[in-house]
Amino acid sequence: MTARFTGGTGTSLIGGAERRSSRSMLALFLPVAAIGTALALVPIWLGDSRLMMGLAIGGLLFACYVIAFNVIFGSTGQLFLAVGALAGIGSYGGALLGDRLGFPIVVSVVLATLAASFVGGLLSWIAVRRSLDVIFTGIVTLIFALAFENLLLGLSGLTGGESGFAVESGSDTFLREQVPPYYLFLGLVLLFLIAHGLLRRSHIGWAFRALRDDDVAAELTGVNVARYRIYGGLIGGGMLGMAGAIYAFNEGRISPSTFSFGEVDVVVIVMLTFGGIGTLFGPILGAITFTVIDEVLIEFGQLRLVGYGALIIILFLWIPRGVIPTLASLWQSRRLRRENAGSSPTDPLH
Amino acid sequence: MTAIILDGIVLGLQFGVLAVGLTLVYGLGGVLNLAYGQMAVVAAIVVSLSMDAGLPAAPAVGIGLLAGGGFGLLLDTTLLRPVYRLRGEAKVLLSLVLTLGVAFVVDGLLLWRLPLEALTLHIGGGVVEILGVPMRRGSLWASAISVAVFVALFFFFRSTMLGRAVRSVIQDEEGARLVGIDPGRMRTLILVSSGVLAALVAVTRSMTTPVTVTAGISLTIFALIVTVVGGLGSVAGAFLAGLILGIISTVSSFYIGTFLTLIILLSAAALTILMRPSGLLGVPE
Repeated sequence: MTARFTGGTGTSLIGGAERRSSRSMLALFLPVAAIGTALALVPIWLGDSRLMMGLAIGGLLFACYVIAFNVIFGSTGQLFLAVGALAGIGSYGGALLGDRLGFPIVVSVVLATLAASFVGGLLSWIAVRRSLDVIFTGIVTLIFALAFENLLLGLSGLTGGESGFAVESGSDTFLREQVPPYYLFLGLVLLFLIAHGLLRRSHIGWAFRALRDDDVAAELTGVNVARYRIYGGLIGGGMLGMAGAIYAFNEGRISPSTFSFGEVDVVVIVMLTFGGIGTLFGPILGAITFTVIDEVLIEFGQLRLVGYGALIIILFLWIPRGVIPTLASLWQSRRLRRENAGSSPTDPLH
Repeated sequence: MTAIILDGIVLGLQFGVLAVGLTLVYGLGGVLNLAYGQMAVVAAIVVSLSMDAGLPAAPAVGIGLLAGGGFGLLLDTTLLRPVYRLRGEAKVLLSLVLTLGVAFVVDGLLLWRLPLEALTLHIGGGVVEILGVPMRRGSLWASAISVAVFVALFFFFRSTMLGRAVRSVIQDEEGARLVGIDPGRMRTLILVSSGVLAALVAVTRSMTTPVTVTAGISLTIFALIVTVVGGLGSVAGAFLAGLILGIISTVSSFYIGTFLTLIILLSAAALTILMRPSGLLGVPE
């Protein structure tokens, strides 16, 4: 019995932290409020500069993407390499509905969110139906992303091709001002964080965790793996679509390169893996860190790419699990050591 | 029509050789090398620089092949070491991310120092008629080399001790170890050959179209598509899939247009995964 207990705590240090924090909602809302407050202060510092605010909004946009990717990949183990494409569906969908069909912005955003959610769910459904493993899910979604990119380039009558198109809708609203959109995106990030946090606490979250740890075992204990994977795709896809659509009305110009695999997916994977796959706050940490790093490296022109590549290699060799899980297990082992120092020397486990 | 299909075969043979280098590494090491296209580009640039320095084409190509092989050796002995220690999904994911990092570093360095460098090998001597179609000598040389490579590969894997050893590791690493084969050595061998194959494709490709410093990503994507259609780890599958996709590619870009061609190729790969996940000639797990 004792042996089994040590096995439990030894294999899943992070799981232990999750179980403890699930006791109260405070443990979710307190950190979210702290992050919200800290990020809400950024415009006081950078609000004067249009350039810096643009970068900050970009950082929050990526935080949204990373949270969505975390729901899909971190929680349900589906490697979606179509993050940019799903956001692009939301973005182009919203902008086309608003500009070409004259829909109000809110309606456009809602419809675009639904469209991206549907496509995300569809990709999940295909992956589940054909029981694709991680790599094949990755390849199929990557193929989808590349095809989408090509479609945007090819349908130039509708999308403006390579140079994209200017979004008229929203040009006379607060969405084009310097600071207010920042708070809109911050609200979106906090909303996604809370949504993901609540999701993890619900029965869906338990199912997610079960199927991420071992999908065969989850299936055997009665978790409908297919259904929960599709939930992951629907929710994540919707988040991406919403963020993308709002971005289109905020930025006022969208082009295929804004949503290309290299510009979005690669960055999102790096951000999430840096912060910690499957952790609640890893996406925020990763998005902030790499937005800053990106800005620092931008001076170096082509060398920026070199720096980025080298950084990826170093980070993954050094902390392959991400910062938050690494810190959590460091903290946990320190705590264990301190407890052990105080425990009786006859403790059979140590 | 004949001309288009012949062009497709020329292209397809090169697709095939390109895919073999990727598929073998995946089959043997469980490593998905996203820096594969960059291997080819580095080799192409080495050839180009050697020729700029005044070397004749043949030795320059030799140096390029060495550079490709060296790139493979370097990956095998350094970055891929920690990857080999992992198993299953974690292994493929780490290999994916690390080689993506390598691809960025190579692309960045090339764009920084040599943004305009490109390799074009001019094969003179006018056209040759085949089936009533005038073909450029460059295309013929490229095809002849590709066919020779496939013949050599088939011979190597079927009839030599070393080739059989490699195949045994692909089938069952533990089993191979039990009969005294060192999987580590086979991996090194395959990584080096993969680099040489990539370099070879860069050279044959430069006989018909310039290979630029930015070609890496698209070469990797083409290799990936062919690999998926042909079946991971299958040389014959890569050959067949390369030919089929090459012909589809030229036919569709002639009749439908270039931008849809890539979508058609991508759809072919997606359909293959959905209908027959192990690929045309891959072995179902």
